[in-house]
Amino acid sequence: MNFVIRRIAFYLVAFLVAATINFALPRLMPGNPIDVMFAQQNSTLTPEARDALVATFGFASGPLHLQFLDYMKSVFTGDLGYSIRFYPQKVNQVLAYALPWTLLLAGTATLMAFCVGSIIGTFAAWRRGGMLDAVVTPVSLALQATPAVVIALTALFIFGVALKWLPTGYAFAPALDPAWSWEFFGSVALHGLMPICSLMVVFVGGYLVTMRNNMIGQLGEDHVTMGLAKGLSDRRVQLNYAARNALLPSVTSLGLTLGAILGGSLVTEVVFNYPGLGQTLYIGIVTRDYPLIQGQLLIMTFATLLANLAVDLLYVFFDPRLRKA
Amino acid sequence: MFETLKVFLRNKKALIGLIIVLLYVAVAIFGPMLLNLDPMQRVGRPHQPPNADELLGTTRMGRDVFAQLIYGTRTSLAVGFFAGIIIVLIGTVLGIAAGYFGGWIDEVISFFTNVVLVIPQLPLLLVIAAFMGQTNPAVIAIIIGMTSWAWGARVTRSQTLTLRNREYILASELIGERPTRMIFVELLPNLLSIIGFNFIGSVTYTIITQATLEFLGLGNPMSVSWGTMLYHAQNASAISVGAWWEVLVPALAVAGIGVGLSLLNFGVDEISNPRLRTLGTVAAAIKAQKKLDQQRLAEVKP
Repeated sequence: MNFVIRRIAFYLVAFLVAATINFALPRLMPGNPIDVMFAQQNSTLTPEARDALVATFGFASGPLHLQFLDYMKSVFTGDLGYSIRFYPQKVNQVLAYALPWTLLLAGTATLMAFCVGSIIGTFAAWRRGGMLDAVVTPVSLALQATPAVVIALTALFIFGVALKWLPTGYAFAPALDPAWSWEFFGSVALHGLMPICSLMVVFVGGYLVTMRNNMIGQLGEDHVTMGLAKGLSDRRVQLNYAARNALLPSVTSLGLTLGAILGGSLVTEVVFNYPGLGQTLYIGIVTRDYPLIQGQLLIMTFATLLANLAVDLLYVFFDPRLRKA
Repeated sequence: MFETLKVFLRNKKALIGLIIVLLYVAVAIFGPMLLNLDPMQRVGRPHQPPNADELLGTTRMGRDVFAQLIYGTRTSLAVGFFAGIIIVLIGTVLGIAAGYFGGWIDEVISFFTNVVLVIPQLPLLLVIAAFMGQTNPAVIAIIIGMTSWAWGARVTRSQTLTLRNREYILASELIGERPTRMIFVELLPNLLSIIGFNFIGSVTYTIITQATLEFLGLGNPMSVSWGTMLYHAQNASAISVGAWWEVLVPALAVAGIGVGLSLLNFGVDEISNPRLRTLGTVAAAIKAQKKLDQQRLAEVKP
């Protein structure tokens, strides 16, 4: 239990650091972010109107440490201020609408990539140098080094525009209203298929290679030889003796890649016009909606840290040594 | 040195990777000189498909895609190598400091590294870039360099730690060598493979990330790189109007260098860790053995 508590404390500090960066950034930049922001909106703003907007958007004046305290209070009460682009909506509302779509996209893709990658990696390592290994390993290396933008754009071009098999945008058919109906879920699945698959393809290679290399390391260990010598079936040795231990570093790498997956999901959403956090962030960037952009960083950091915590718990499950400590 | 090179070139993955990377570097250095064409110049009608005059077609603005590709290669590679150097410098200094000195220095550096490691990179980069306004390639390289050193620092630290406990380090400590000499003469040469690994990985990461940032509109649209090419293509809805060349050319360019660099990295990994090899030599040995067995069998039979 000690282990879990220490991890939670660590993530709390990491979150504080991210929040501090968020606080410091606009104040470190040359010029006044408020002026930059409003310059983008409309140039004819009376000083009174500007002051009113500054007050509404929460750019407090006064000593820095008081500003910081105010800011931290608003972060922990979950109040991220008003969005400029979607005014009068609050940043929370905008993000709350977008978050589930990103979780669906990134979550499903991660799960699929991790499972598929680890399973194929296990088999590639068991017969390294065989047909499967010779084909799959170089291909996954290539995929791993290909940016999400490229894969998403290529998929969009082939399946969306050239073949016209799958819809090229939105999370569900615009004519439908969200409802608990098969028709709606079918539409969501159809629209999600291409973004999820292209995101999965970007990340499957990394897990595959990690698993393969760990597994090869395991296969040279004594306990594997011992298992074989005992006369256990190949499958048993492969899965229960080697793969279970090889999974540990894979799970660690899963935690470390979560941030990257979220990043990949941002880009994929922009390409497929998918209404998640990435699409919202893109709109925020284009319109220089700083409160929205900053809220994004916080919520994404929060999501990543939460997912990392889940990975730590998974680790405890896989590694019994940690349960006692 | 020559022996190492020979081992390196015998590895097929490393060799192919090296050839691809050298090809890109050659294009980046000599391409613009040979081409002698302004990539921002209007050369023809918008969205011309590839033809004899414009080898890879034109963009929505009527610019030559081939010229943009050549100049873009220069920008993208320069950003990749520049940021790679920054990442390796920071990562190596922090990693060695943490691993060698230990104690509270290690505690502080490790904690800081781990924090940076869990904060999602791309959103952070996006926020920084958004506050800087439209950023030039050099600025992008610096931002990426300053935020992406954590992984390298961690790997370098753990490698330094294992070296730290070797007997030869203990011996030189007993002789009374100074820390500077220990680090530069005893440690650094043994860390070179890790540092090289880190550098290649960082260059790949930077090139991909730069393309992503610029695709999202955070670059300077007047600069020519693969990322801005993708950005302009996306803005011109190139895919929907069927101008595939405007999108696929920069996309394949990014993918190509990524594949080359990671093959190189994987090859280096295989050379330093023989277990990972796909066993081409072992397969050959088994084949030879079988042949020998058959020969012997044939000899015994009559």
